[in-house]
Amino acid sequence: MTVDRETDNVLVVEGLRKSYGNVVAVDDISLSVLAGTIYGIVGPNGAGKTTTLSMVTGLLRPDAGTVLVHGANVWADPVAAKRNMGVLPDRLRLFDRLTGAQLLHYAGTLRGLDRTTVASRSADLAVAFGLEGSLGRLVTDYSAGMTKKIALASAMIHSPRLLILDEPFEAVDPVSAANVIEILQRYASAGGTVVLSSHSMDLIQRICDSVAIIVGGEVLASGTMREVRGFHSLEDRFVELAGGRKAAEGMEWLHSFSD
Amino acid sequence: MAAQFLGLKLRLLANTFRRSPWQIVGVAVALVYGLAAAFLAVAALTGLRLADADVAGDIVVAAGSLVVLGFLLIPLAFGVDDTLDPRRFGQFGIPTTRLAGLLAMTAFIGVPALVIAIVAVAQVVTWSRGGGPTFFAIVSAAVIVVTCVLGARVTTSLAAFVLASRRARELSGLVTLIVLVSIAPALAAISSIDWQDDGPAMLARVSDAAGWTPLGAAWAAPAHAAVGEYGAAVLALLIALGFVAVLAGAWLLLVGRMLVTPHRESRPRSYARLGWFRWLPASTAWTVAARSLTYWMRDSRYRVQLVIVPVVPLLMIVILLISGVYWQNLALLPLPVICLFLGWTIHNDIAGDSTALWMHVAANVSGLADRVGRTIPVLALGIPLIAIGAPVSASAYGDPDVAWSLVGVSSCILLCGLGISSITSASFPYPTVRPGDSPFSQPQASGGVASLVQSLAFGATVLLTLPALLLGMYGLIDPQLTMRSFWVGLAVGLVVFVGGALIGGAIFSRRAPELLAFTQRS
Repeated sequence: MTVDRETDNVLVVEGLRKSYGNVVAVDDISLSVLAGTIYGIVGPNGAGKTTTLSMVTGLLRPDAGTVLVHGANVWADPVAAKRNMGVLPDRLRLFDRLTGAQLLHYAGTLRGLDRTTVASRSADLAVAFGLEGSLGRLVTDYSAGMTKKIALASAMIHSPRLLILDEPFEAVDPVSAANVIEILQRYASAGGTVVLSSHSMDLIQRICDSVAIIVGGEVLASGTMREVRGFHSLEDRFVELAGGRKAAEGMEWLHSFSD
Repeated sequence: MAAQFLGLKLRLLANTFRRSPWQIVGVAVALVYGLAAAFLAVAALTGLRLADADVAGDIVVAAGSLVVLGFLLIPLAFGVDDTLDPRRFGQFGIPTTRLAGLLAMTAFIGVPALVIAIVAVAQVVTWSRGGGPTFFAIVSAAVIVVTCVLGARVTTSLAAFVLASRRARELSGLVTLIVLVSIAPALAAISSIDWQDDGPAMLARVSDAAGWTPLGAAWAAPAHAAVGEYGAAVLALLIALGFVAVLAGAWLLLVGRMLVTPHRESRPRSYARLGWFRWLPASTAWTVAARSLTYWMRDSRYRVQLVIVPVVPLLMIVILLISGVYWQNLALLPLPVICLFLGWTIHNDIAGDSTALWMHVAANVSGLADRVGRTIPVLALGIPLIAIGAPVSASAYGDPDVAWSLVGVSSCILLCGLGISSITSASFPYPTVRPGDSPFSQPQASGGVASLVQSLAFGATVLLTLPALLLGMYGLIDPQLTMRSFWVGLAVGLVVFVGGALIGGAIFSRRAPELLAFTQRS
């Protein structure tokens, strides 16, 4: 493999900012993600993870900063940049009056795939995510976990170079999560890159090569997993950076059970 | 426990006045409306005290049956919001029979119960003509109030329970709309009866029949007593009491069932194939069109529009016919009006996608493909409609040549509407009903912007069609202008359609993230 800084970093984020009125949601965030790695983003609720990922994927216009995907600027050259990205946003709807098969077809053809490619990839994805029996049903009738899985499948169908996944394991059952993780790890070892956010520290520590801890719209620590967590667990390091544990005092009434 | 439930209900009633000023105005209007209706009923019933017992009986039974029917059907048709749903008390461990009794009791507090109580008491005045009738009237008053309140209570929960699934809810909304629409011809039929001569006989037939049904029996009992038929009075009262018992039993069963049936969702239907995606080309614009077409057929928000579009010109024709316009001229009206509404239906299409729009933004769908794709379903409906509708309308009018100008005007209005819609939906989206919500619900905070955009899209379309329309109208007198109307209409329509798609497409491409941000706010 050639060592070239420009192409080795498949995602480069520099000086990203976003504020809503007086509230600064994302304050000067910079990240760089190596090709072929799985990159985790962790942070407490409201830290700006979703806002950051939305700006990276071209769904939310930043106030300042640049995002380069495989060398293409997302906000200046969206055609090239978005072609290389597969996106799973958090808490946005799907076109849920389509069946699972129709949604996959829609996602694939919007990305320029032809009919036969979409059909064969849909079939593969359905098996990989355990959705074979559900492709004919409307997405609105899916459970939360199934909806997440069909959205994940839609993000992957055009075989992008970079997957940006916001909370990909929320509401997904352990068996499916294990399958998804295996798919992502094989994808990464074949040269694909994954950026994902999660609340599950164990999971991030287990599967991610690198990690960034975002608190209050700023990156407090980033680097390889080893660099960030040192000899602690990621969870301990995270809690330490995010402001420490709150002493659980004054809740003694909870221990005197009422009848 | 009873005091707590009554307190809860009173608190809920009081809280209806603690909302936004406009909601308070709404509640106040409902209150005034209800009390005014009750007052009118009291005046009428008191007045009937002086009428002949036969006539009074006919009127009271017919009107009373309608009132009971209303109490039973209105919750079913409109799905009243039930703050005291039995399922909300499932976690408190109250015995079923006790809970059913308590909830039934709270139903007697409220505006509808107050109104029916006033009417039922006034009905006693009508029959205060001797001891027998008065006695039956007093018993009937109690039965009427219990029937109405308990009946509404049962059907409210039945609606919440049976119509819990999405499909059932959407279906019931459509059925309600169709029923409301079909009321117009029914009213026309009723108004065509010669009330002066046939009215009393008609009324007597209706009340004779209704008086022996559970709806009218309680109202009929004192009427029978007033004409001395005490046997019939007792029988009617027994029917009414039997109905109350049936309602009480149904309520008890329903509460029992609801408490142990946590969530009712119909078995999801399965679709084997890709539907429209299979038949349309796999390019971006056609894929957007296939998605849009699927939504037109599956999403109740679109289906309601499809039902309303042909109804509007129908109502216009009925009104104009009644006001004495010659029917042959009216034959030319429906097609352009339908085309006007068809083109207008998608003027806020992006807002209808809600946040699902992210798929277009993430995939970098070109603005032009998005704009054109959304117009294709409307064109697919409108073009055949014009092709068939124009010759049919023209021959109904009596001059086949008029078909040309009708095609010109109709396609101009359809294409202009689509062109304008392509621009407005990308540049002036406003909050609309969210996916899955009832098509009859109103989004919060749509306000002035909505009506401004709506009238803008409407007005611009009509304005752009004026040349073709005027030529077409003069063409009715001077046949030479007919073909000119055809060409002008087609040319203007195509220019506006293409221009609208290009301008709207450029706006969409430039503002896609802002449009997505808009859908997240609303």
